[in-house]
Amino acid sequence: MAGPMALRRGLNQLVARLLTRFPGLVDRWAKGRSFAPVAGDGPWAPLAKPLARCKVALVTTGGVHLKSQPPFDMANPDGDPTFREIPLGAPRGEIVITHDYYDHRSADRDLNVIFPLDRLEELAREGRIGGLAPLHLGFMGHVDGPLVGRLVNETAPAAARRLAETGADAVLLTPA
Amino acid sequence: MGLVQRAIEAAGLPTVSISLVKALTLQVRPPRAVFLRWPLGHPLGEPGHRAQQRQVLLDALGLLETAPAPGALLEPGYRWRCHKYEGE
Repeated sequence: MAGPMALRRGLNQLVARLLTRFPGLVDRWAKGRSFAPVAGDGPWAPLAKPLARCKVALVTTGGVHLKSQPPFDMANPDGDPTFREIPLGAPRGEIVITHDYYDHRSADRDLNVIFPLDRLEELAREGRIGGLAPLHLGFMGHVDGPLVGRLVNETAPAAARRLAETGADAVLLTPA
Repeated sequence: MGLVQRAIEAAGLPTVSISLVKALTLQVRPPRAVFLRWPLGHPLGEPGHRAQQRQVLLDALGLLETAPAPGALLEPGYRWRCHKYEGE
């Protein structure tokens, strides 16, 4: 059954390249869909101390994970709501991307395009931020159908707890 | 991504995101976001472009200190491959 799967992945990757090339298509797609709009203002957690004393965590939906971890599920058309933990200090060569739904060739060349660990370390050295948090997270942004419920009720809250309990003070999120 | 952001903010951690699809961000209304009209897959910009990546980071992190209320959306308006960044 490798054939149909390879064909489907190839098609997804082709569409991803087209969407990167023609951003207008993305806008049209987004306007025609409903993304669980939420009533009211939603949650709000003000910064508890100056940025220069905050440990910053990165969370991306760009499919980032360690080579040693299971890659995100590219076989399920509804995607994959799970996340991977990237500890601070993980060798850069160990960090890879599994995500067929966007063109990540730029991020493959320079991880900072989507997961700016090096740039954050520079800001930490300059004293602009207090430092990097001990734990950073990778999600794979394609989540659809029944898996959206699992993301909202299970994996996203679990990710939030992991960041809080490992000492992050603020979080920057980057999309695919 | 907006759903993950809201969950993290709800757990008490201040969050800011980079948005490349404004229509989506306007629907999800994350607590704080920086919108850039750039190609998907390039939230921090171009590979190897340190000054650009740094500027986006400073804009996003700065919003953590300056955003007045939930739904804050910053639009710096950097044009893809045209803007000159500090330090270039």
